[in-house]
Amino acid sequence: MRLLYLGLFLGTLGAQSSCRQLVSSCREAYMDNFSWDGRYWRAELYNNETTTIYYTFFRGLRYRLIPCGTSSTQSRPHLRLYNADNVLLLDTRQQPNQPYWELELSSTQLLMIELYYPSGEGCIALLIGYQMQEAAASLRH
Amino acid sequence: MKANYMASVAWRVGIHLFSVGVGSGLVGFGCAPAPSDASSKAVDSAFVVPWEEVEGYMKAAPSPVQVAAWLRRERVGFYREPLHDPTLAGRYSGLQGAANLGIYLTDMAYAHATGQYQVAYEYLSAVQRLASRYGLEDIFSVERLKTLDRLQDKPDSIQHLFGQYYGEVQDRLVETGQQALLRHMILGGWLESLHIVLALLGKESIDRKALSEVIFLQPHLMPLLIRLYAIDTLHSPASRQILAHLDTLNQAFKALPRALPTGPQTTVSGRTIRMVTSGGMELRPDQVKEVQKALNKLRDFLT
Repeated sequence: MRLLYLGLFLGTLGAQSSCRQLVSSCREAYMDNFSWDGRYWRAELYNNETTTIYYTFFRGLRYRLIPCGTSSTQSRPHLRLYNADNVLLLDTRQQPNQPYWELELSSTQLLMIELYYPSGEGCIALLIGYQMQEAAASLRH
Repeated sequence: MKANYMASVAWRVGIHLFSVGVGSGLVGFGCAPAPSDASSKAVDSAFVVPWEEVEGYMKAAPSPVQVAAWLRRERVGFYREPLHDPTLAGRYSGLQGAANLGIYLTDMAYAHATGQYQVAYEYLSAVQRLASRYGLEDIFSVERLKTLDRLQDKPDSIQHLFGQYYGEVQDRLVETGQQALLRHMILGGWLESLHIVLALLGKESIDRKALSEVIFLQPHLMPLLIRLYAIDTLHSPASRQILAHLDTLNQAFKALPRALPTGPQTTVSGRTIRMVTSGGMELRPDQVKEVQKALNKLRDFLT
């Protein structure tokens, strides 16, 4: 029984390690010249689980949302964006697949992000980078 | 089944780390040692909340580096008087030190964002002094300070480096089982961000609506921060006191009108998502003062 627990514990550590590698490889592949404050979200998802993220997005900054991972059924990770009142604003599954998304807002908002796989299970992560929007390009009220 | 076992093991590892972190840092607020008898542990909510959930609440508050990037984009002015005194860094330790590390990091980032490099250097020295108490001294080493100094005329590069250093601090505190310190550092950073925004609202005539939005969204953020401290109030007297201050602050935010812009209208073009809102309003001077009053109680407690 002890060996079983040890095996499960080491298996968990191994999964966490692969999740950590997922974050660094995603960062190298997609962060480009966006700034990153080192925050990331990662989870092991099973049986249609989702993981929820809260994040304050400032107007005037352009954000890059990078969902990382591939499920056991080779599904790509998707995002559902909700406003602070829990109103669904966007489900990226309804859009063509993209390796990352860029987000611009005309006002500062706290958004809730649900990260999920449409099918299968596995490690999933999200990185969020930001950069200053050019004044001329920024959204106005 | 295997998945459930693995999730359960990971969950327990997370809880253990968090409870170790909570127990390790009570000295800073002059609190009594945490109760260690089995009965108190059995009812302490710190032992029933998964670390992943705690982590989620922690990361809801914006980081000092992100706030600084936004303030730079808003082209706000620099005002010294709302900032914390950097010469006091030597008197802090434990949880109080961690909260003040967050406060000084925010003051430093604000000074940099407004081009006050000499002031930023003073705060960097305060950060360096506190960082050495938590095994973070290499992250703010003399070599790195020299690098920052060389990049004074390249604010984008400095922004990247601040982000990198802030990320390293978070990783180090988690890896070394100091999550309770990380929680206080994030609390201190968030609090100081609001303190600066409120001070700017009392002075700035440019785009007060943009600054007000940050205050008006706090009623949505507060429940997450309250949960962050409600989880171990039986275990930690410091958390109890902070929770009481957060409740007071929450009441002040709730007394504000619901004035966030409406919407948003969301459109997608290629990889770009745009969210456009309408409306919104400015915080009145009397409302600024009311929130400041509640916020300063917690800030005074931490500093």
